[in-house]
Amino acid sequence: MRATFPDAGVLRPRFKLTPWDLVVVPLVIVVILLLTIAFRGAAQPFDAATPDLTVSLDPRNLPYYGLRTVFRMFLAVLLSLLFTFTVATLAAKSRRAEVVIIPALDFLQSLPILGFLTVTTAIFLGVFRGSLLGLEAASIFAIFTSQAWNMAFSFYHSLITTPRELREAAAVLRLSPWKKFWKLEVPFAMPSLIWNTMMSVSGGWFFVVASEVISVVGRDNDQYLPGVGSYIALAIEQANVAAMVYAGLTLLIIVLIYDQLIFRPIVAWAEKFKVEQSEAQEVAQSWMLRLWQRSGFAGNLNAIGAAVQRALPPLPVREDPGPRVEVRPDRRPIDRVIDRVWYALVITVTLWAVWFLAVYMFGPGLGFGDGRVLAANPNVNSGLDPEIARQFAAFGVTVNADQTVWLSEVCAATAGGTQVSGGMAGLLRDERVGAPEDLAAACAIPMAPAGKVAWSEVLTCLWLGLLTTMRVVIWIGISTLVWTPIGVWIGLRPRVAQFVQPLAQFAAAFPANLLFPIAVVLIATYALPQNLFQAPLMILGAQWYILFNVIAGTVAIPNDLKEATRVLDLRGWAWWRKLIIPAIFPAFVTGGITASGGSWNASIVSEVVSWGGTTLTLSGLGAYIAHWSTGEFNPHVGLGMLVMGLLVLAFNRLFWRRLYALAETRFRLD
Amino acid sequence: MATTLTPKTTASVGKAILSARNLHKIFKTPEGNDLLVLDNINLDLAEGEIVALLGRSGSGKSTLLRCLIGLISPSTGEVRYRNRLVTGPMPGMAMVFQSFALFPWLTVLENVELGLETQGVPEGERRRRALAAIDLIGLDGFESAYPKELSGGMRQRVGFARALVTNPDVLLMDEPFSALDVLTAENLRAELLDLWEERRIPTKAILMVTHNIEEAALMADRVLILSSNPGRIISSQQIDLPRPRDRNDPAFLATVETIYRAMTTPEAAFVSAAAVGFDHAGLGMRLPEAEVARIIGLIERVDAGPDRGRDDLPVLAADMQLDADDLFPITDAAELLGFAQTREGDITLLPEGVKLARSDIQERKVIFAEHLMNRVPLVAHIRRVLATRPDHRAPRERFLSELEDFMGADEAERTLDTAIDWGRYAELFEYDAREGRLRLPENGG
Repeated sequence: MRATFPDAGVLRPRFKLTPWDLVVVPLVIVVILLLTIAFRGAAQPFDAATPDLTVSLDPRNLPYYGLRTVFRMFLAVLLSLLFTFTVATLAAKSRRAEVVIIPALDFLQSLPILGFLTVTTAIFLGVFRGSLLGLEAASIFAIFTSQAWNMAFSFYHSLITTPRELREAAAVLRLSPWKKFWKLEVPFAMPSLIWNTMMSVSGGWFFVVASEVISVVGRDNDQYLPGVGSYIALAIEQANVAAMVYAGLTLLIIVLIYDQLIFRPIVAWAEKFKVEQSEAQEVAQSWMLRLWQRSGFAGNLNAIGAAVQRALPPLPVREDPGPRVEVRPDRRPIDRVIDRVWYALVITVTLWAVWFLAVYMFGPGLGFGDGRVLAANPNVNSGLDPEIARQFAAFGVTVNADQTVWLSEVCAATAGGTQVSGGMAGLLRDERVGAPEDLAAACAIPMAPAGKVAWSEVLTCLWLGLLTTMRVVIWIGISTLVWTPIGVWIGLRPRVAQFVQPLAQFAAAFPANLLFPIAVVLIATYALPQNLFQAPLMILGAQWYILFNVIAGTVAIPNDLKEATRVLDLRGWAWWRKLIIPAIFPAFVTGGITASGGSWNASIVSEVVSWGGTTLTLSGLGAYIAHWSTGEFNPHVGLGMLVMGLLVLAFNRLFWRRLYALAETRFRLD
Repeated sequence: MATTLTPKTTASVGKAILSARNLHKIFKTPEGNDLLVLDNINLDLAEGEIVALLGRSGSGKSTLLRCLIGLISPSTGEVRYRNRLVTGPMPGMAMVFQSFALFPWLTVLENVELGLETQGVPEGERRRRALAAIDLIGLDGFESAYPKELSGGMRQRVGFARALVTNPDVLLMDEPFSALDVLTAENLRAELLDLWEERRIPTKAILMVTHNIEEAALMADRVLILSSNPGRIISSQQIDLPRPRDRNDPAFLATVETIYRAMTTPEAAFVSAAAVGFDHAGLGMRLPEAEVARIIGLIERVDAGPDRGRDDLPVLAADMQLDADDLFPITDAAELLGFAQTREGDITLLPEGVKLARSDIQERKVIFAEHLMNRVPLVAHIRRVLATRPDHRAPRERFLSELEDFMGADEAERTLDTAIDWGRYAELFEYDAREGRLRLPENGG
């Protein structure tokens, strides 16, 4: 070999500083400091003796609240990534794990996210006994559930579609599974993982507002974790307009910082992971990334990493053959036996889980008694007033932890409504209680056990689900009709698109529930029809996905197609039908799926909105779940989540997936 | 091929480094049937030789290469590398891929270094060797470029550098030049041969898969020819010409001619003799991927050629600027349809072929249709099914799943597409690609 090789040292990074480090180094120190402050706040003690957590509406607290919220968001994303890297990898590597994980993820991602908050609070409080971290964890977990499934799905999909030639190359180079994961699989998955994370975080801001106010069993009042979400919740309760404006500004700034300092640099950096044959015309840019790359800091970090690696004992030289890359591996007879055992186990556990769920929801007898279908057992004390609950308790009526009193309990205490004492009669006549006029007659109907779901309620739930479905369909339709022409108009003008695209992404990240009170005030003041003015709230945050996907789809239309239609003199409807609609269809479907998922989730928040003393309720599944999510997890919340989960699943399977398949086969531009 | 020129380089052919014994490979079709892809392969790759593995597409040559390097396991039989049983990719063997298989997110240098990471080479040494390999293969100045910034030829150079940096004992190449344009391929081939001749790489043996006959004749010391469906080694030819070889050298031309002959024996042909027994149902017959226009174009060309209805395939390939891989499906199709016969490296038109060549468009369609119905059972079958259906329509999937009883999913897809293409031309049926439906023509065909 020739001796003119460049010296190896030429390419080795040296420890060096550049003027850019004057900005980058302080920035890094500030971030570390802020994280420390946030963590100290989150790790405070919290036990029975701690007074109820609350927030102050003084705007001077907002920077700190913002920090705490961002901290939660940050941890939730980290957890989601951890979950993604482990669970999705397991699903992609093990066929047996796959049959369990993939359907589970599919179902989990259709479940209404907020329902989880009630399930997990108790668990986390138990895990972090005596520390605020329990509540923090519950809040973080709620955000986590809005992100993890989606990200795991995207990662799994990338893993199973890793190009065969690259897998073969990795095998021939005998990369270890660990190396292969970081050098091949993660980089290949990076663009879609980042895109999904970005979408998930945008959705996460929406739920931050809802996940920071937590009800804790054993406490009369909700706990307000320090954060912007709690601040907003309190401002809404107190109808404080100024506080809402401050909160809005804070969120605006947070989302802006997050967009500029974190996501844009990452997206720009991830350009290199795109598997494409030639260089793209337009490449995402980020000033932050350039700053980071020009500073010596990143290089120094690398140098430190390399130094650490050098200090470690070298990996043993592997002489053994690497793993094969089979097209369709032959299965040995023993594998088939293990498969059968495994599937039998999965089916058994699934059946057991279904049985457990049924018993949990419908109670002993599964909603049947004496050969009849049981009627709903109404929650007599619908006002949840602690004072009234105490009075009931005085009469020997069992009061549940979440301050509910069930009709069946009252019946038990009054011998089926036949022996009502004077005091009890007075209490029952209290209009806040809302007891049935003829207690004896009401008690004579066989009722589902206290707290359990009656069969009739399932029908109600399905009906409510149908209402919500219709709302989602109608409003997705309307926003499609509104945004498609606008998006196409923008997409055909690259200059405008360049400017609008980031704006639309930003709008999607800005939590729309901040604007809900405006709708409440308008509807209440002018007595506007709720169905027309409250229902669109669910699409408020989700519509942007349609807009920016339509823009992206239009921008991507090849120039020669556009020119061909000009030559053919296609105009008006023909131009839409022959060029635009087919061309933007795949992008639109992607946007539509995201938007409809978002509006399903938003329905829980948007079907019940309030401002001060005014609460507007729209009957629907979201309102049903919100109504029952006021204490610990109960069978009604379970039923609501289950119905919504199944509806979303069905909706996706029957509608979106078909459109998607159509987009994949018929309307591909490449 | 004994030639008068003194063999300069191939004198040192020594003991076998890599060998396969009684190797079979069976794939399962989607329907669960067994599909024999490689049938009783025995081969030895000896020290100091370059072996080319030639075959039609679908002959399983890439599968064989992957069995040899250990990427996939043989169904029966064994592969040994320096007497060790190959149970997975081994140190000492490197591979160059047709599509380069570079990691797009790594720079040229990082891609090349990756080959050394598992070899426990210390960092400094690793960089030095990677730079040396980059220099060797003529990529200086591109160390920090990403693959997508490079042209195809430069990318394949990275592919070579990544393979060579490990100082491989055996180099396996899967159609390494077929994704490159003619000039680039020529250039890269010559440089690789220089490195090999001048012993600037420590590699002891090279095995390359190719479908390009001329390439094999230019590079290899020995050419192995695989038959199609299933793949069997049907011929092994020694080429004792010194390198660099001259394309116009009569000995070289004779070598090319010999390889053509070996590739046009009935068993090497795409449609094996057994499947062409025209009288049986024969739904499992694979159809060569050849467009109608090309089949007719070839027949016209041969008819108008200097020998009037007879042509030498190497000459024809050169004249029409077709690769052997492009040419053979067309000659196979012409043979299958009963328009021509290919033997001994020559193509001869049959009377029907001459008639076709001299007809006008409408007559051609009639002749073509008649031959299709008589000689391609799948087309006849499709006609029959469509005719018995009340609405004269049937979905494409229906036939696809039938074909998958006999062949792999990709192969079934290709065969059906070819049958549809031919049948459409002959106006035997129509096809709506959007709905994926076949139907009889309105006027009844």
